[in-house]
Amino acid sequence: MNEQLVSMITQLVMEQIGNKGSDKSSHEPTVPIEDKKETLIKFHDTVVNANYAAEEVASSSTTEQSNEPLIKLYNTESSNHEQSYYSASNDESTYTSVPITEFKFEEDEVSESVQAAKKHTPARIGVGRAGTRPKTKTWLKFRLDHAAAVDAVYGEVTEGLLQKLDVFQVTTKVTDKEEYITRPDLGRRLSDEAKTLIQSECKKNPKVQIIISNGLSASAIEENVQDVYLALQQSLGNLNIEIGTTFYIDKGRVALMDEIGELLQAEVIVYLIGERPGLVSAESMSAYICYQPRIGTVEADRMVVSNIHKGGIPPLEAGAYLGTVVQKILHYKASGVGLVAKEG
Amino acid sequence: MKTEKIYSAGIDIGTSTTKMVVSSFLLKNVAGVTHVPRIEIIEKTVLHQSPIIKTPFINKEIIDMEKIEQFIFQQYQLAQISPADISTGAIIITGESATKENASEVVHAISDSAGHFLVATAGPDLEGIIAAKGAGTLQQSKNTAKIIANIDIGGGTANIAVMQFGEVIGTCTLHVGGRLIEFNNGIIQSISPPIMKLMEKWSNPLNVGDSAEDIRVTQIIQELVEIVAKMLSGQLTDEQHPLLLGHLPTWDKPVEAIVFSGGVAACIYEDECTNRQYDDIGEKLAKSLLQHEQLKSFLWLKPEETARATVTGAGTQTTEISGATIQVDAEALPLKNVPVFNCHIDTHSKEFDYAVKTAVAQADALFSIQENRSPFALYFSQLPYLSFRDVHTLCEAILKHLATRSSKEIPIIIVIQSDYAKVIGQTIQAINQTVPIICIDQIKVETGDYIDVGEVLPSGVVPVVVKTLAFHSK
Repeated sequence: MNEQLVSMITQLVMEQIGNKGSDKSSHEPTVPIEDKKETLIKFHDTVVNANYAAEEVASSSTTEQSNEPLIKLYNTESSNHEQSYYSASNDESTYTSVPITEFKFEEDEVSESVQAAKKHTPARIGVGRAGTRPKTKTWLKFRLDHAAAVDAVYGEVTEGLLQKLDVFQVTTKVTDKEEYITRPDLGRRLSDEAKTLIQSECKKNPKVQIIISNGLSASAIEENVQDVYLALQQSLGNLNIEIGTTFYIDKGRVALMDEIGELLQAEVIVYLIGERPGLVSAESMSAYICYQPRIGTVEADRMVVSNIHKGGIPPLEAGAYLGTVVQKILHYKASGVGLVAKEG
Repeated sequence: MKTEKIYSAGIDIGTSTTKMVVSSFLLKNVAGVTHVPRIEIIEKTVLHQSPIIKTPFINKEIIDMEKIEQFIFQQYQLAQISPADISTGAIIITGESATKENASEVVHAISDSAGHFLVATAGPDLEGIIAAKGAGTLQQSKNTAKIIANIDIGGGTANIAVMQFGEVIGTCTLHVGGRLIEFNNGIIQSISPPIMKLMEKWSNPLNVGDSAEDIRVTQIIQELVEIVAKMLSGQLTDEQHPLLLGHLPTWDKPVEAIVFSGGVAACIYEDECTNRQYDDIGEKLAKSLLQHEQLKSFLWLKPEETARATVTGAGTQTTEISGATIQVDAEALPLKNVPVFNCHIDTHSKEFDYAVKTAVAQADALFSIQENRSPFALYFSQLPYLSFRDVHTLCEAILKHLATRSSKEIPIIIVIQSDYAKVIGQTIQAINQTVPIICIDQIKVETGDYIDVGEVLPSGVVPVVVKTLAFHSK
C-alpha cells in the first residue's frame, strides 16, 4: 500500500520535472518526453488510477494557464499519439502489444545477507544511497511515515468505534491539542463535568477498571483497542475477575489514572493509551497497569506493556496476557517494583 | 533478574559407538520490562561427558538394551544427577543401529526410564541436523553468512545437513562410514550390505577373508569419497545409487564451506586416530577425504565437536522453549511423540471451519490406525492477522471438530507459529470450560515432524522437542 502510494507520488513528481524540463529546452528534447507522455496517456486510461488521473489533469491544467509552451507540447503530444495510433493500426500486433508501463522503482539489489538481516528489524537498513543522500524511495517513505506520525498525534478516535465498544466519553482539563502537548499537567486532571459523569455512570469500587484514551496516537486506539479490549474482557471473564464500567478519555495522560482510581476506588486500573508515534509505527498502543492508583502514586508502581500493534505484540495476545498480569497483581496486591519485590 | 536452571541429557546410540552428555540450561526472560515476556535459554553448560563406548549388541540384529541402560545410569551417578531431575533432552539412535530389529523399542524404553522427560528420536535427516548443531556448524552459518555443509561421518552413515543464515536448507544421507568394512588381524572380517551392493557391478568383488591391504579396499574408499564430493557439488542425481540412503540432496544453493564431524572427523582434524580402537576403514577414509582434489576447492572450517557432535547436539540443541504467553492444561503434560499436521488457512478467504475440518480428516487418515484415533497436534503455520471475531470463528471450528474426541489423556493440541496461543487457548476455554487444551506458540514444525511437550516450568513456558521418528529402512 505505502509502496504503491510512494511510487505514484514519484511518478507525479517525475512528470512535473519532465514538464518543467521541456519548458526550458528548445524543440529537440521533445522526443524522449514524447515517450513519457505516451505512458501518461495510458495511465489516464487505467481505471485503477482514475482518481489520480483527475489530479494529474488538474495539475496539468494549472500549468497550462501559466505556461504557454506546455499546452502546445501537450497538444502536439496527443496529436502525435493519434498519428502513431494510425500508423500502428497498420500493424495490429504492434498496437496490441504496447505495454502499459506503470512507474516502478528500480529493484532493490541487496545481498542475501542484508535480506536476512532485514527480516530481524523494521529499521531502514540496506536502503542504499544516492551520493551523500538517501534515495528518493527511502526519502518519500520517510516523509510518509513522518506524516503518519503527525496525523496520529492530531487525529481523533471516531465516534463509531466508541459506540462499538459501548463506552461514554469524558474530557480532561485540556481544551485543544496544542494545550495537550504543551501542558501535560492538564492532561492528568479530569474536567469537572467528567468527574460528575464518571461518578454517576460508573460502578464504584470495581476490581478492575479499564479506561481508554487516545493519548498521543489516535490511530493506535483506532487500530488496536477493540481486539485488546475484547481479549482482555474474555481473559478476565475466564478468571472470574469483575470489571467496572469502561469509558473513554479524550486527551488523557498516563497519570490521569490516579485521579480516576481515587474517584472510583478501583483496585486495579488498566489504562489503554496511544503511544507517542515513531517512524516505524504510528499505531503503537500501551497498556498501563497499576494496583490501587491514587493521587500521589509514584511511577515505580506503574507497569506497562508497550509496543502493542500489528507489527509488535499482537493486540489479541496482549489482551490475553494482560488478564494474567491483572490476576497476578490482585494476588500479590502490588504492581510495578512492589510486585517484583513481593514475587521474590 | 531471575533465572531458572534445568537439566538436560543427550544420548547417542550409533553404529559403532554410544555416548552421553549431561548439561544444564539457564533460562531467563530476555524481553524488556515493558514487553510481554520472552523466555530463552541464555546459557548451556556441559556438566558431564561420558567416555565413548562400543555400542553393545546381543547379536548382529539386536541391540543390548540392558547394557546401554547400565551405562546410562552409571553416567548419571558420575554426573551426580538423578534421572528424575532431567527435564529435557533427547536420545537418538543413529546410523546402522537405527536399522536393528529392536531400534524403536530401545529408544522408547530408554526415553521412559532414563529421565523425567527424555525424548526418543531417530531419522537420518534429523541425525544430520542434530550433528550440525552439536558441531557448532549451524552457529557458524549464522556468523559467516556462508552456505556450509556439515558432514557427520560415523561408523555406518554420513549425514549431511546444509545451512545458511542459521537455518537448515537441505539434508542428505549416504552409506559412507568407517565401519562399512571391518578388519581383523589384517584380514577383512565383514563388509556391510551397501558396499556389497556397490560391488555388484564389479567383475571381481572383495570378499570376507581378503587382505586388508588389498588394492580394492582403496578403490572402495575412493568411491566413498567420490560420492561425498559429488553430493557436495550438486552432481549426485542418481536416485538409485547404492550408497544413497533415502532422498537425493534437498538443498538448491551451491555449498561454499564444509565441516566434518562424527567419529571419522576425529581423524581429519586431530591426530586422534590412534585412539580409535577400531580396526576398519575409518582412518583411511579420513586421509582420502583430506587429499581429495574436488573437496579441497571448498573452504574447510573446523567443528567444535567431532566424535561427540551428535550427542552434544542431542543433549544441548534439541530443546526449544515455547512462547511465554501460552495456554496449557498442566495435568495433560508431558506429551510424547505427538505427530504434527499442518492446517493451512487461506489468508484471504479465512474459511476456518473448512480448513480445520479438512485438516482433521486428513490427519486422521494419516495417523490413525483403523478405528483407533490417535492424538495429533494441529499446526497453524501462516495465520493471517486475526481479529477477535476471527479467533472466535477459528476456535469454534476447532472445538466442533476436535472437542468430542478429547479427553484428559488426549487433549486438544494446537501449535502455532506466530504469537496467538494465549488468546486462542483462552477463547477455547471461554467457549468450552471443560475441554483440556495444550495451545503453544512460536514453534516451527512441519507435517511429518513429531513433538514432545514437557511439563510447565516455573516461568510458565514449556520445553518442546521437535523431531522425526523415522527409522532407517534397510
